[in-house]
Amino acid sequence: MIDRRQFIIRGATVAAGAGLASGLGLRTASAADTIKIGAPFNVTGALSSLDAPALNGAKLKVKEINDAGGIGGKKIDLVIYDTKSDPTVIASVASQLLGSDKVPVAMGFTDSDSVLSLGPIFQQAGVPFVTPGATSPKLPSQIGNDIFLACFGDNVQAAAGAQFIKDKLKAKTAYLLRDNSTEYTTLLAKYFEESFTHDGGKVIARNDYKSGDKSFTAQISKLKAMSEKPDVLYISAMPDDIGLIVKQMRQAGVTQPIVGGDGYDTPLLISVGGKAANDTYYSTHAFISEESTPAIDKFYKAYKAAYGTVPENAFAALGYDTAGLIADAIKRAGSEDPAKIRDAIAATKDYPGITGSITYPDGQGVPQKTVTMIGVKDEKLFLAGEVTPSFIPKP
Amino acid sequence: MSGPALSRPAGLIVFGAVLILVAAVTLALPHMVNNYLVRVVIVMCIDVILVASMGLGNGFTGVFSLGHVGFVAVGAYTSGILSLPVTMKHAFLPDLPHWLASFSLPFLPATIAAGLVCAALAAVVGAPLMRLSGYFVSVATLGFLIIVNVVLINASDFTRGARTFAGVPLQTTLPWAMGWMVVTLTVLARIAYSPFGRRFRVVREDPIAARAVGLSILPVRLSAFIVGAFFAGVGGSLYGHYLGAFSPASFYLPYTFALVSMLVIGGMGSISGAVLGVVLVTVTSEVLRNLERGLDLGVIHIPPLYGASQIVLGMMFILVMIFRPSGLMGDREVSPGLFLRRKPTGERE
Repeated sequence: MIDRRQFIIRGATVAAGAGLASGLGLRTASAADTIKIGAPFNVTGALSSLDAPALNGAKLKVKEINDAGGIGGKKIDLVIYDTKSDPTVIASVASQLLGSDKVPVAMGFTDSDSVLSLGPIFQQAGVPFVTPGATSPKLPSQIGNDIFLACFGDNVQAAAGAQFIKDKLKAKTAYLLRDNSTEYTTLLAKYFEESFTHDGGKVIARNDYKSGDKSFTAQISKLKAMSEKPDVLYISAMPDDIGLIVKQMRQAGVTQPIVGGDGYDTPLLISVGGKAANDTYYSTHAFISEESTPAIDKFYKAYKAAYGTVPENAFAALGYDTAGLIADAIKRAGSEDPAKIRDAIAATKDYPGITGSITYPDGQGVPQKTVTMIGVKDEKLFLAGEVTPSFIPKP
Repeated sequence: MSGPALSRPAGLIVFGAVLILVAAVTLALPHMVNNYLVRVVIVMCIDVILVASMGLGNGFTGVFSLGHVGFVAVGAYTSGILSLPVTMKHAFLPDLPHWLASFSLPFLPATIAAGLVCAALAAVVGAPLMRLSGYFVSVATLGFLIIVNVVLINASDFTRGARTFAGVPLQTTLPWAMGWMVVTLTVLARIAYSPFGRRFRVVREDPIAARAVGLSILPVRLSAFIVGAFFAGVGGSLYGHYLGAFSPASFYLPYTFALVSMLVIGGMGSISGAVLGVVLVTVTSEVLRNLERGLDLGVIHIPPLYGASQIVLGMMFILVMIFRPSGLMGDREVSPGLFLRRKPTGERE
């Protein structure tokens, strides 16, 4: 009979051995008949509400491709890692994907910081990486030509928001409120101001807050004390904060339309904001609803069948499109050589994604895409417009 | 010294043998295992530097500081600003003062500068804070961490604010990390087990008795705090040059708690405890992280359970705290002398 101590030691040894085995890539799935696509995502931690849907979308697309016979008879093996919203884990996973799993291409993440932690390691190895949702248009120039975005850059969505405000809402003056604690919200605010003032609009006041703040009284009272009232408010916010902001704004009697970026694209806007969310507009990647285009409707139903929940946000659709985009490039490359796959991704022209068609102009890593504007009326989302901005600020 | 005293030549031989072993591992490892495991070892070396230097203040002098990661952040940003190539400085930090923007330091001077800046900062911050004890010093140093975070976010001319500080050259290689770890552990051990280091434990065990024999508390605590901060800055520089891109959020509460748990698990009053804690927590979390992806062992198929590793790790911490409240090592040391000579009776306690 073994005593408790020995039992624990043996158990730990077996677990450690199994863990190391899987860590070193001794997984039993045969590697010869599959094509590997690396998929590091922050499934747990601060970014899970965006990354988990994106990963689910990617898994759905891979399953559809495999059910239809794969690529040239080979099935796709999505090599998934949870990177825990931690830059150290992201760097370890990057070398694991390249060293142990030897993936020829990878996709992942919905935020710029994570891509910046992983990107240089992939760039050094010459392996292409496509991010479904990190919207900083500076990423390819910061890291290199192996980095691609499957979504539009923040400069494009900010320009679309500005154009929508001028054309549809007929507004000339704006009040700009931004969260100064993240790369995304500060860049978005900067691009918005550039494009709004480019032809005639005027930002008459600015104010800051920090993600996680629970009271916006100071910002609201400053806004209400202004002698010249703005026509519209542009609020550059993260998903967790926007519901609370609109609620406090409306309670304080601020009635102007509120406009923002794809950070609003979460169920939290209406569930927290309630009636206060009415007359809010935001730019995002696609209008995910049963009343949208047939392709999105099909995705909507398939996602619901696979995961028992409707797509949480547009990142689910972006994950779906990114997996499809990479599969398309592998097919065109006709090879599993990372350099050939990179060139095939760069040459992508009019890939019919459900979030819009994707083309990389002159092989640059940021695609040209149309921007979807969504509005809230009677606590329900509706398609307010599709915008292709005429002026786009430089990244 | 709590380990048995060795005669000087024997001690030097053992130290030399350890150095040769470390050098051999450093040179051989990249050829034996893949890049992923090398990276795990680099992270372990950096964490050993940070946890051991944290242990000097938190364990040996008993001043439980939660502000250590504040110094790590200052170290990472200081060395990052100093070593960023000049062209990148113009692109990323256009508002940097001219005298900072016009030059770029190599890795080693930038790292030492980071350590010195942190030591100077620790002298200023520690002078009032090291007068506190118990919970008060923990809360006050936590306040220091929060202040560092807020300053980093708002000093955007120097740090790009909350946005990612990118473009730092990826220079933390295995020899650098190992080398700094050996330097850190040697220096810390020499200090902690010198007559001067005995004062650390005296002020921890009985401040009143210490004062009665003419030992003033503040300089003792402050010196441990400053030395700890120097190596926190060095570790921060290594970490920054390992990641290449970081933001103020990288150096905040989650990292603080990771380091504190490594220290507490290993044993707070022990340098080898710090090493053990780091190795144990890192290896366990890496193993669990690979296990939670699901396993296919032919007969048994375990589906992926993301997040399970954090739960198991948390459970382990609880168990260690129940069965070994003073950590695995307590305040004992594994010293090379153990292999050469039996412990003389009556040496400790």
